[in-house]
Amino acid sequence: MSKISPVTGRYVTVDVDGLEYKVFYLENGQGQPLVCQHTAGAHNHQWRGLLEDPEITAKYRVIAYDLPRHGKSDPPENTEWWTEEYQLSADHFANFIVALVDALELVDPIFMGSSFGGNIALQLAHRFPERFDAVIPVEGADHSPGFYLDWWQHPHANAAQVCGSGTWDLMAPQSPEADRWKTWFYYTQGSEAFKGDLYFYSVDHDLRGKLGEIQTDKCAVVLMTGEYDYLTTPEDGARTASQIPGAEFIEMKAIGHFPMSENYPVFKGYLVQALDLIRTKTAVGA
Amino acid sequence: MTVVTRAPSVESWVQSFTEANNHDPEIQAHGKYFTCSYLLDMEAHTFVVRVVSGTIAQISVDPGPIEVPYQFAIRASAHTWGEFGKPVPDPMYHGIWAATFQRDMKLEGDVLVLMQNLRCLTRQIELLRSTGAPV
Repeated sequence: MSKISPVTGRYVTVDVDGLEYKVFYLENGQGQPLVCQHTAGAHNHQWRGLLEDPEITAKYRVIAYDLPRHGKSDPPENTEWWTEEYQLSADHFANFIVALVDALELVDPIFMGSSFGGNIALQLAHRFPERFDAVIPVEGADHSPGFYLDWWQHPHANAAQVCGSGTWDLMAPQSPEADRWKTWFYYTQGSEAFKGDLYFYSVDHDLRGKLGEIQTDKCAVVLMTGEYDYLTTPEDGARTASQIPGAEFIEMKAIGHFPMSENYPVFKGYLVQALDLIRTKTAVGA
Repeated sequence: MTVVTRAPSVESWVQSFTEANNHDPEIQAHGKYFTCSYLLDMEAHTFVVRVVSGTIAQISVDPGPIEVPYQFAIRASAHTWGEFGKPVPDPMYHGIWAATFQRDMKLEGDVLVLMQNLRCLTRQIELLRSTGAPV
């Protein structure tokens, strides 16, 4: 029996906001595109369980990309990026995802992201509802201040370990130790991008007072939050969902801020609920 | 490792916490430069933990004013530390970041030293799940 995974990896060139990126993505499955964004300072291996899930990939084309400056997606090809401080803006993050969807020629995709990926999911629903069938903000909220910290990149501390262990408590103690350590390992690899990512997460992202403008008849919204998430708590997720007309909220028990990576079997149970809700909503709206 | 179900005495905790740390595979594998002194303020008791190269060299119990120096402090109520001492802590009592962001924990002093030792310190604090907290 072959031990070769059905997951494949490719690169696609994306032009956006005057920048050229060579973007690496993993994919598996057939059906409606399910585009997956990793968390800040990480990469697409966080979606390893979903990418190899035969049940989900029988119905969905799962695409998990590395955001530029993460994993195998390099910084811009056409700028001297090393002469500038990296600060990810909401405008550029949202424009990049739409440009990626265009470059891959995806039709009616569902977008799912966790943490800063959850926050950009909300931004996409707000800015480009006609471009996405639905969004699933995981561990997202209207506003998430407090994590844009110098510690992530402090030259007097081991930045890799600070990023890895500084996010350790975001995971639930019930999650399998091996999966928590994989997630820790990914975080040791992303310290140069983590703080700049968090500029978006904690500073530039602010949808307070704007959630009511999201049109869920065009783009369905299902939020999911884990009970061990100390950054974006279930209360934050429920509050955010309550202000979006037609949005749904699912609280996930015994799991934290990296649910797809720290405990995929538990996350999958909730994800199936979310996908079922989306199918019901989009069928009614069609 | 024995899992306790109620708060251990101060004396037995000092011994069990020291032994748990000094025999912990992760800390012993990665603690070559884990050297610092910090205050654990548990409201009912305070402790200064002195770590040298991953080994707990001394735990000073309820030291007097300016008696035992330390570099940073981790302070919280006895209730919070009691929750840390459960085998599977409830949400927001499962780590120093969680309790600092969402509960009454305070990280004070030279926090840079805490960050420099964060990997092993995180594991060391989690040892409370097996030893219990002495408050």
